[in-house]
Amino acid sequence: MAETFTGGCQCGAVRFRVDGPVRHASICNCRMCQKALGNIFGAWAEFDTPVTWTRGRPTTFRSSAKVQRGFCNQCGTPLTYQWGRNNPSLTIGAFDHPNDIVPTGEVARDNRHPTVGHADELTAEPLGTADEERDILAILKSYQHPDQDTESWTPGGAP
Amino acid sequence: MTTTTPTTELTGGCQCGAVRFRAATLGRSSICHCRMCQKAFGGFFGPLVTGFGVVWTRGEPKWFRSSNQAERGFCGDCGTPLAYHTDGDDKSVELAIGAFDNPGLAAPVLQVNPRDRLDFFAELTSLPTRPYGAEPRIDTFIDGVVSYQHPDHDTAQWPEVSHG
Repeated sequence: MAETFTGGCQCGAVRFRVDGPVRHASICNCRMCQKALGNIFGAWAEFDTPVTWTRGRPTTFRSSAKVQRGFCNQCGTPLTYQWGRNNPSLTIGAFDHPNDIVPTGEVARDNRHPTVGHADELTAEPLGTADEERDILAILKSYQHPDQDTESWTPGGAP
Repeated sequence: MTTTTPTTELTGGCQCGAVRFRAATLGRSSICHCRMCQKAFGGFFGPLVTGFGVVWTRGEPKWFRSSNQAERGFCGDCGTPLAYHTDGDDKSVELAIGAFDNPGLAAPVLQVNPRDRLDFFAELTSLPTRPYGAEPRIDTFIDGVVSYQHPDHDTAQWPEVSHG
């Protein structure tokens, strides 16, 4: 049986499910992906099977004549890239377990942001002392949807 | 698409151009590996630079309260993630690096929250790529793109025409 992947936006208003296998996973350095995602590259997973929207649906913006990009209009998480009537590609970070979707290709390398070539060499900042960490965790209350499907969910952390 | 010299102005905005910003100065630029940044950006990390004196020069972001400590701003029309703001900070706003007209002006110098770093992060820069000319079907697509993205500089009016 094919592996099933789930994911959704940060607030949980939009959730999806898609059957594997992943056809292709890649990062894209093109300027449209950078700006659409506010990021230094886009990270996309393509599937042969259509995605099922299990809660809500993305809002779409037509970013070029043939392409629509979908996002959650409640929290902004970028979710899809759809060329014509093809199955939409999904943003890898929106999956509940992004470590399961390993990119194997790079698109538009000639437009790499200067950081991409050495991002893994940047200084890593420790989280601070254990006490500080405990202090932060003690007061932080995340309103992000959990990394799994939920029976019901109120976006924004309302009780 | 025409090639222009990247701007040196600290301006930027969303993909559709409904929201535009300008910063007076920039502070530290980083990529944040935390799971909240991953999911909010739909990416492998959150690319954020501290902006001081940030002015929204066209439109305003829509804000989502992502925790009891912070809210995240995005364009309500096209979804571009734009900002992260910690409660009580009246001096700065963290801005999404890719949303700058010239994201090269905010090259990250630091990785934060490495505990949540994705397993394959270190290999991302050595992936195989497909050079132009290798797959004519894809080249044809790219050459034929009619972009509706806002240009990488401020505009007096946008869109110039409706895309219907």
